[in-house]
Amino acid sequence: MEFKKALCCAAAGVLAVAAVSGCGSDNKKQAPAQSGQKVTIEYWHVASDSFGGKMVRELVKDFNEKHPNIEVKEKFNPDMYKGLTQNLQAAIASNQTPDVVQMGWDFLYYADANFKHDDINKIFEKAGKKDFVKETYADNIAKLAQTADGVQVGVPYSLSVPVLYYNPELFQKAGLDASKPPKTWDEVHAYAKKIKAATGKPAFFMQEYADTWTNQACVESNGGTMLVKKDGKWQAGFDTPEGHYAYQMLADMVKDGSALHATNEEGFQAYTSGNLAMVCTTIGKRANFEKSSKFKVSMTSFPAFGNKEVKVPAGGNFLMILSKDEAKQKAAAEFIAYLESAESLYKWDTGTGYLPPRKGMDTYGPYKKLMDENANVKNAMATLPHVVPWVSFPGNNGLQCEQVLIDARDVIMGGTKSAKDALHEAAQKINSLLQG
Amino acid sequence: MNRLTRAGSLYFLPASLVFLLFYYWPLVMNGVVSFFSWNMISPRMRFVGFANYQAILQSSEFQKVIVNTVLYIVFLLVFDFLLPYFFSFVLSHVLHHGQMTYRVLLFLPSLLSLAVTSIIFLWIYNPIAGPMSEILGWFHIESPRWFKTPYYVLLAISTIVGWKFFGYNLIYLLAAMVSVPKEMIEAAELENASKWTILKDIIVPQTSSAAMYVFVLTIVFALQYVMVPINMLTQGGPDQHSANLSYVIYQYAFVFFQAGRSAAFAVLTIILFALFLLWRGKVAEKGVYYEN
Repeated sequence: MEFKKALCCAAAGVLAVAAVSGCGSDNKKQAPAQSGQKVTIEYWHVASDSFGGKMVRELVKDFNEKHPNIEVKEKFNPDMYKGLTQNLQAAIASNQTPDVVQMGWDFLYYADANFKHDDINKIFEKAGKKDFVKETYADNIAKLAQTADGVQVGVPYSLSVPVLYYNPELFQKAGLDASKPPKTWDEVHAYAKKIKAATGKPAFFMQEYADTWTNQACVESNGGTMLVKKDGKWQAGFDTPEGHYAYQMLADMVKDGSALHATNEEGFQAYTSGNLAMVCTTIGKRANFEKSSKFKVSMTSFPAFGNKEVKVPAGGNFLMILSKDEAKQKAAAEFIAYLESAESLYKWDTGTGYLPPRKGMDTYGPYKKLMDENANVKNAMATLPHVVPWVSFPGNNGLQCEQVLIDARDVIMGGTKSAKDALHEAAQKINSLLQG
Repeated sequence: MNRLTRAGSLYFLPASLVFLLFYYWPLVMNGVVSFFSWNMISPRMRFVGFANYQAILQSSEFQKVIVNTVLYIVFLLVFDFLLPYFFSFVLSHVLHHGQMTYRVLLFLPSLLSLAVTSIIFLWIYNPIAGPMSEILGWFHIESPRWFKTPYYVLLAISTIVGWKFFGYNLIYLLAAMVSVPKEMIEAAELENASKWTILKDIIVPQTSSAAMYVFVLTIVFALQYVMVPINMLTQGGPDQHSANLSYVIYQYAFVFFQAGRSAAFAVLTIILFALFLLWRGKVAEKGVYYEN
C-alpha cells in the first residue's frame, strides 16, 4: 500500500516536470493568414519611454485604426540594439520570429548573415509598392542599409549624426566668442586649451560608448577608412597615417589635460553640470542635454580636419522585415510605408530628435518649418549629404571586431601606447578575426 | 534506519529529475557547445574540437581576466570579509552603547539595488564634477580617471560591490560573534587577557564556521556581483581591465554571439572554482570549529 502511494506521488511528480519542460518547446505555429482575415504582425523597437516609446505607441495605434485588416503589436526591447539582437536570437531559436524589427547600423552584416530575410525590394513589389526604396530615399541614404554586395538588408528609418555641443558660458569665461564655435579639430584643441587655462578643468569630451561611432567619423573625415577589400578579402583599413592622426589628436588633447578621458556618463554629467565646455556626441542627446542643463545648450556640426570634407557615419536604425508568410510580409510592407511617410516621420523625428531618411523632407511640409525655426535641426540636416555607412564588420567574428577597436581606443586615450602602435595591433587582430 | 528503501528512492525521484534537468543537463550541454563554433541560432554548428580552449589559453586576454578575477576577490575579501569581521567584533565585544544604531546604519546600503548603487558611485567618482574629485582637490590632487585607468577601475568597482554587501555579511558575522559563550570571555577577562588575546584565542576559533561561510560566499559571489557594475559602467573596459571571468562569458555569448568560445570560458571557470572548493574541503575546513 505504502509503495503504491509512493509510486503515484512519483508519477505525478514526473508529469509535473514533463509539463514544465514541455512549455519551452510549445511553439507558436505561424499559421498562414487567409486573405480577408485580420493579419497580426509584431514590431520590435528599442524606444524606451524617455526616448520615443510614447511616439511608437501613438503611431502603431493610428496605423491600426486606419488599417482594419492589419493589427500591429509593438514590443519594446531594453538595452538598445544589443538587447534587441539578444532577444531576437532567442525568439528565432524558439520559432517566434517577429515581423518588423529596428536594427542598429553596426549589426548590418550580422543581421544579414544570421536573421533570414527575403529580398525587401521583392516584398515591396508584391505589396504593390514597386521601387519603394528608390523613390523614398536618396542614394547615399538607401546605401546605408546595403551590404557591400548590394543586398538591401532593410530600409533606413532613424538617422542620427555626431555633433559638437558646447557651453556658451564657459566660452565667455575664457574670453571666447560663443557665437563662433570651433569649425575644425585644430580650433577645438585651441579652444579647449584656452578654457582649461581659464577654468583649470578639461574642456572637451568625445563620447565613449561601447562602440566607435565618433572615432569612425574622425578617421573618415581625415580621409581614412575603417574597412577595405583587398584581393577579395575584407581587411582593417584604419592602420594608415590618416587613421593614426585621427586617434592621436584626441589622445594628445587628453595628455595635455585639455580633454577628458572618462566613461560616457561621467563625461555627460560633467557637461550638464556646467563643468565641461564641449562634448562630441549624437544629435539624439539634444533633448536630454537641454532638459538636464542650467545653461543654454548650444550645438554646431561635427568639426573638420583642415579643409577636408566631413564624413559622418549614420547612427540610429533601419527596419528589417523578417516574416516568411506572404500575407504578413504584405502587412509589414504596408506598416513600413506608413512609418516612412512624411507625416509619420515628422512625428517620430520631433518626438526623438532623429533626422528623417526620406528625401525631400527639407523642402516642404511641417519638417521644413521645424528646420526654419530651429537652427540646431537645420545644422544637423545639412550633414545628411555627408553621411556614410557606419562600419559593420562581416563574418562570424564581426561583432568582436568592434570590441577590438573599443579596447584600442582605451589604450590610445589612456596614453599607454601611441595611436600608430595600438591601431597597428588592432588591425592585425581584426584581420585575423575577419579570416576566422 | 538511514538506508534508502525502494519507496524512499521513489519519493526522491521528482526532485532529482528537476535537479538533473535544470542543473546538470545545461552543464552537459554547455560542455558540448564548447567544442563548436556556433552563434546559438545558426543551423551551421561547426565542430572545432579543442580550438576554443586553445584560443583562450593562448590569448593574453585570458591572463588579464584571471588576474582581474583574483584581484576582485582580494579586494572583496577585504571589503566584505575582513572589514565586516572587524566591525562585528567591535560592535559585539568592544562597543557598549549604540550597537543597534550602528547595526541599522551599516546595514542600510544593502537595501539598495546594485544598479542604483552603481549609479551613485559613478557620480561620486566623477573625475570632474564628483564629490571625490572635490575632496582630492583640497589636497591639490587631480582625481584619477577611476573607470578608465587599469587597476583603479578594479578598486572602484570593488568598492561599489563592497559597500552594497558589507552590511549583509556584517549581520551574519555579528550573529556568530554574539553567540560566543559569555562565560568563556568573562573567564578570560578574569585572567586579565587582553582584547587581542580574546579575539585571537576565543572569538576567531568560536566563529570560524560562520567566517568560513562568509569567506566562501564572498569568493564565489565576487565572481557574479561585479557583473552589474561592469555591464553598466565599463563594459569590461578600459581595454578589458575590468572584465572578470563571468563578464567575458557573458560578453562572448551575448555581445559577440560566439556561444562556443563563451561555453569554453564557462567550463574553465567551473574547473577553477571546483579546484577552489576542493581546496576548501580538503585543507581550509580542517581548522574550522562546528558546534555540532
